[in-house]
Amino acid sequence: MAAVSTPTKAARRRMGTLSQRRMVAGFLFVLPAVLFTVAMFIFPLLMTGWMSLHNWPLLGQATFLGIQNYVQMVQDRQFWASLWFTTQYTLLVTPPIFILAFLLALLVNSALRGIGIFRTIYFIPVVIGLGTSSLLWVWLLNDRVGIFNGILLDLGWIQQPVIWLVDKNLAMTAIVVSIVWKTVGFSMILLLAGMQAVPDELYQAAEVDGASYWQRLWYILLPLLRSTFALALVLSVIGSYLAFDQFYIMTRGGPQNQTITAVYWIFNNSFTYYKLGYGAALSIGLLAILGLLSVLQLRVLRDDTTY
Amino acid sequence: MQRIVKVWTGLLALLLLAACAAPVAAPGGEQAAGEPASGGVTISFWTRDSNQAQVRSLVDAWNASHENQIEITVIPASEYMTKVGASVGAGAPPDLMAVDLIYVPQFAAANQLTDITDLAKGLSYFDKLSPSHVRLATYDGKIFGLPFNAEGSYLIYNKGLFEQAGLDPENPPKTWGEIADAAAKIRALGEDIYGFYFSGACAGCNAFTFAPLIWANGGDVLSEDGTVATLTDPSVAGALALYSQMWADGVIPPGAQADTGTDFANAFTTGKIGMAGTGAFAINNIKTNFPEIDFGATFLPGQEGGASSFAGGDSIAIPAGSKYPQEAFEFIQWATSEEVQLEYYAKLNNLPVRTDLAENEYFAQDSRLTTAAEAMAIGRTPYSIVYNQLFNDANGPWLKMIQTAVFDGKVEEAVNTAQEEFTKILAGQ
Repeated sequence: MAAVSTPTKAARRRMGTLSQRRMVAGFLFVLPAVLFTVAMFIFPLLMTGWMSLHNWPLLGQATFLGIQNYVQMVQDRQFWASLWFTTQYTLLVTPPIFILAFLLALLVNSALRGIGIFRTIYFIPVVIGLGTSSLLWVWLLNDRVGIFNGILLDLGWIQQPVIWLVDKNLAMTAIVVSIVWKTVGFSMILLLAGMQAVPDELYQAAEVDGASYWQRLWYILLPLLRSTFALALVLSVIGSYLAFDQFYIMTRGGPQNQTITAVYWIFNNSFTYYKLGYGAALSIGLLAILGLLSVLQLRVLRDDTTY
Repeated sequence: MQRIVKVWTGLLALLLLAACAAPVAAPGGEQAAGEPASGGVTISFWTRDSNQAQVRSLVDAWNASHENQIEITVIPASEYMTKVGASVGAGAPPDLMAVDLIYVPQFAAANQLTDITDLAKGLSYFDKLSPSHVRLATYDGKIFGLPFNAEGSYLIYNKGLFEQAGLDPENPPKTWGEIADAAAKIRALGEDIYGFYFSGACAGCNAFTFAPLIWANGGDVLSEDGTVATLTDPSVAGALALYSQMWADGVIPPGAQADTGTDFANAFTTGKIGMAGTGAFAINNIKTNFPEIDFGATFLPGQEGGASSFAGGDSIAIPAGSKYPQEAFEFIQWATSEEVQLEYYAKLNNLPVRTDLAENEYFAQDSRLTTAAEAMAIGRTPYSIVYNQLFNDANGPWLKMIQTAVFDGKVEEAVNTAQEEFTKILAGQ
């Protein structure tokens, strides 16, 4: 104690080295994360930016173009059409995910015995790869061997098998249903975690004051879930804006190229037309748009509540 | 700098593809090749997964009998171009590679392949090699690859259904009219039996099975040198009208419209489809897995007769920067030799890549294989350095033309639009 309150010169020097050592240790602790971020995000991002300034074929030499790719992007009607389609898809798929996720979270947020089994069941589709699940749905929707047509035919609701994926509206319905099934578990878990963070005393106090179940839900739970909602919403909207697998596998952008999402168009430019430079420019464009959207969402749903 | 960027491009591409395609074990393409194995060298060899069983048995046979060893890396077909592009950009290409023949012009145009003109022309059987493969491997008068694996499209038909419909199973259709006629008669057999099938949402499938109808009729989709679109040729509209009519008559199952290729090989094996365009791969599959289906093979015809085929498969080429071009060519020479073509191709129900071996003792037992081999020999392949964008793109002009013509019945509009879009893409190259 005395040594600390009246440090000698030598001790001060030792403390100096101690704080230096702590800094080094701290740096070493975050180093893996920093390296990972640099290698997996910052570096590829810079490279993508660099590539976007070039005419960059898959085979052969790249040539510098300046901002010409970006000029082309602004004039690329298919890109904006795809972006608009992706927006429509996001608006279509987000509400069902959230309503269902919220209801499921309410259901599984109880202390019943064996509730873990239900949480697991609802979460399982999240674990399946999106490519795999899309392929699964292709077969579920098949007109000859698909189970949906089988059930509808057996019920007598339809006379002929429905060809789900040749009509834009039917195809969109099928994709939205498959994606809700696939991702609702994830939003459910996020909301569940948010619900469990709400202190019990608040409910108890409300109950003492005579608040009904619905009042507690509406006036306590929902407002306190605001920040969780914001997080889940941002993640879900970003996920929807990056939609690719389900459209690539289930509709191939069809019928008549009506379901080409933004990422699908980037993929086509990069890996069908082999214009990697232009694909990179589109990626940067999409990144900027998504960044803006996320900032907007977080701002709207900003939450300063403290318990 | 660019080198590093290309590696990253490749990695990013792989990540993206890995996310969208069904996961496939990552190929170990980065092993250092060139370690001498018992005196010889080790040649790295890349191939796509579509025909890996055949390639593996071939390479095993080579390794067992030669000092130079071949180390094979199998890459999923959908990732092949990206992976090779990345490796070439990184300055570490394989010593030898098999690549879908349609991509060879693009590789050659980008200076990525070793010129093997003299070695190839030195082969005594050079003029017997699959003409389509050789044509596509020729760029600027030089030869950059040789046929490695052959596939020819033809019309497969269900003999049982032909018989039930009162058609002669030994006398399959030889004109467009006879196809439509037979399809209608088979359709009349029952609610769930259809006369004809094609994958209506699969671009590549229709290059393989629909384009030959045009060629057999004397038309074409591109000029000989691949620089001019020729879709306004009346044969194109004629062949589209055939499909369109069959669709309108309801002899094609409604599900065909949505088939992105997943059902390309399966529809016929249900036993409820009268006819479909397919490839040699189907013969082995049906014989092994669906022995109850009695099927025949015949050429894809023109309007009033004639025959053609899409000659597909892989070419084998030596990338520029290969460490062992000489040794690699020795393998190519061995693989195309008569003995290997018979013992490791024909005997295993694979088409030989030489037209002089289409008739052989193994195929003599199954005339359908001979038909496929002969189809390959008379087959054609569009020559283009933007093949992918023209014909393989699921959102491209080729498939759009077929869909507009067949499902919407607007043949003329479909042809004119496709001609315009083809011209635009070809001008951009």
